[in-house]
Amino acid sequence: MALPIPLTFLIDLLTLFGIFAIISMSLNLEFGYTGIPNFGKMLAVAGGAFFVGAVPGRVIAYLFNIPAELDFIKNNLEVVSSLNQVLTSEPVISTCYLLASLVGAAFAGAVLGYVASYPGIRLRGDYLAMTLLAMAEVLKIIGDNWEPFIGGSLGVRIPDPFRWVGGEHRPLYVALTILGVTAVIFVYLELISRSPLGRTLRAVRDDELSARVYGKDVNRLRMKTLVVGCAIAAIGGALYSFLTASVSARDFNRVTHTFWPWVMVIVGGASNNLGALVGAGMFVTLRKLVTFYKSYFETIVPFDVIWLEYMLLGLALILVLLYRSEGLIPEKPTKTLKRNYIVNKVLSRIKTKEGT
Amino acid sequence: MSSLEWLRQQGRQMSLLLVRDAIIFSSLMIMLSAGLTLTYMTTKVPNFAHGEFATLNIYLNLALVRLLNINPYLGTIPAFMLGGAVALVLYLAVLKPLMNRGANYVILMIATIAYDMILISLINIFADYLNRIHKLITRLFQLKGFDIEIFGQPGLFIIAPVLAFIMITSLYLFLNKTKFGIAMRAAIENPSLAEVVGININLMYAASWFISGGLAGVAGALMPLYMTCNPDIGIRLLISIFAASILGGLSNMYGALIGGAIIGFAEVLGTGYLSTALGPWVVPYRPVIPLIIMMLTLLLAPKGLAGIDWKRFMKKVG
Repeated sequence: MALPIPLTFLIDLLTLFGIFAIISMSLNLEFGYTGIPNFGKMLAVAGGAFFVGAVPGRVIAYLFNIPAELDFIKNNLEVVSSLNQVLTSEPVISTCYLLASLVGAAFAGAVLGYVASYPGIRLRGDYLAMTLLAMAEVLKIIGDNWEPFIGGSLGVRIPDPFRWVGGEHRPLYVALTILGVTAVIFVYLELISRSPLGRTLRAVRDDELSARVYGKDVNRLRMKTLVVGCAIAAIGGALYSFLTASVSARDFNRVTHTFWPWVMVIVGGASNNLGALVGAGMFVTLRKLVTFYKSYFETIVPFDVIWLEYMLLGLALILVLLYRSEGLIPEKPTKTLKRNYIVNKVLSRIKTKEGT
Repeated sequence: MSSLEWLRQQGRQMSLLLVRDAIIFSSLMIMLSAGLTLTYMTTKVPNFAHGEFATLNIYLNLALVRLLNINPYLGTIPAFMLGGAVALVLYLAVLKPLMNRGANYVILMIATIAYDMILISLINIFADYLNRIHKLITRLFQLKGFDIEIFGQPGLFIIAPVLAFIMITSLYLFLNKTKFGIAMRAAIENPSLAEVVGININLMYAASWFISGGLAGVAGALMPLYMTCNPDIGIRLLISIFAASILGGLSNMYGALIGGAIIGFAEVLGTGYLSTALGPWVVPYRPVIPLIIMMLTLLLAPKGLAGIDWKRFMKKVG
């Protein structure tokens, strides 16, 4: 039973939304809450995907006794198709494989975030921005050229953890998985933003000096934020590879994985997880519509229409920065305990003291 | 014995070619990093669109040379104007209004990236247009065949360093000997004090952006004579430009010159010698060299070469 077309369109949309929501929320943690200009968002996203392309497939091939003379990269098609046959009847192992890969990707992203931020974290944010941008490009170059890693420019196919659900239901399960992860990350980040840590991060962003005066180790906080942000973004990259069941360095570029998340966060409203979601949702819908009507424009102009999209997004971002820098959903005051609650608490304290 | 002699000669030949390459690339890097440093000093924001200032003029020069049969070196004049104009638009239409609204440097950096996207779009549209309407090769192309020959050497080997020298010297004379230039330095050093003395800071900043874009434009116009160009070359250049400027200290013009020269030589000689020693597979990893230099600079001397106290350093070492 095939799914009706509007439903596949919606599932497609939600899948893409989930991935970009994860990436833009991670950027929101870094830039929105803490004020770190991470211009190498692609670094963590690609890092997570590269990890999924390089490590879990090899581990699983080893566990299922794939003959050692079949190389994971050179005989990629053979290895992966025989693994997929095994995974078709193993829902539990498939799910474990998926979850373990996501955890591993998050770890890889965290390590990348630590290494990339180490040289520049003590300096003003623009140095950090420059190094992160350069690191991201170099990681892409390595992925694109080093064949034993993830197959170089050809890329690599990975075992599909959704084999067991059957072909026509696969998109639905992938979408549900991605949205589930998105929801978990949303709740986690929302909890962070309401905790004392969230307020400390805002203090680091708004006034570094006062944060220092109150004894906060600003550099350490920045570093931690970047590590967590990179781990989350890496999960987004890993999920993207499971969606396509393949990894290729060519899929990652600084426009899609650095610039777009920035547009989403700023247009949606920075330091506001809901804003990041709204930004991602708007953006993904817009993109789907553009791809839909692209063929219509293609006949009129003597160039690839995709470039017009770049220009419109660049202009849109500049206009938003100029005329509505708080975004669609502005930052709200931090949520703390209710005033009445505190007053009652204090009053009851005083009463019990008077009683004794 | 004779084969060994031959090998030695080949090796020497290759070294000479590498040094020639390094001199050309360093000259281009010097123009680029000097421009980036100049705008960083005025506006205090690293310009992420700087690579695209050059790339845009690669395509301008391609069109001039191939469609109008202009000498590629004459193309540097319109390239200076176009590069300057593009930079001026970025400053006047984007950065200055943002600064007036009190935007911090992170917002300004994002704005330069947004402008970068617009330029990438324009470059690709122009490249597609040249390709589809005028049937020119616009992806992975070179213009080496249009270079002139001086003393049996490619003209670029002489002209690029000379041009870099002339531009940098005139910039030096301009900044140090003319009234306008001295006013500009005052505006850079202490904007509020300069304003009190009656210097028009906006004019000074706009001029520095124009010069910065112009330098990038000239470097861009010369680029296709030296290497294979593609619309996405800007990001490759940007890594080297940032590395050179950070090595130079980001707030010192002379630092930028030395940084540009060092990065140019390190990249060309490093890749050249490593590829003979380890094999040609190292060539695509060339951007790793500026990245490593950038990281080492940030770790060891975050203020760059200009920030090191050389007298104390020599005492410590010697």
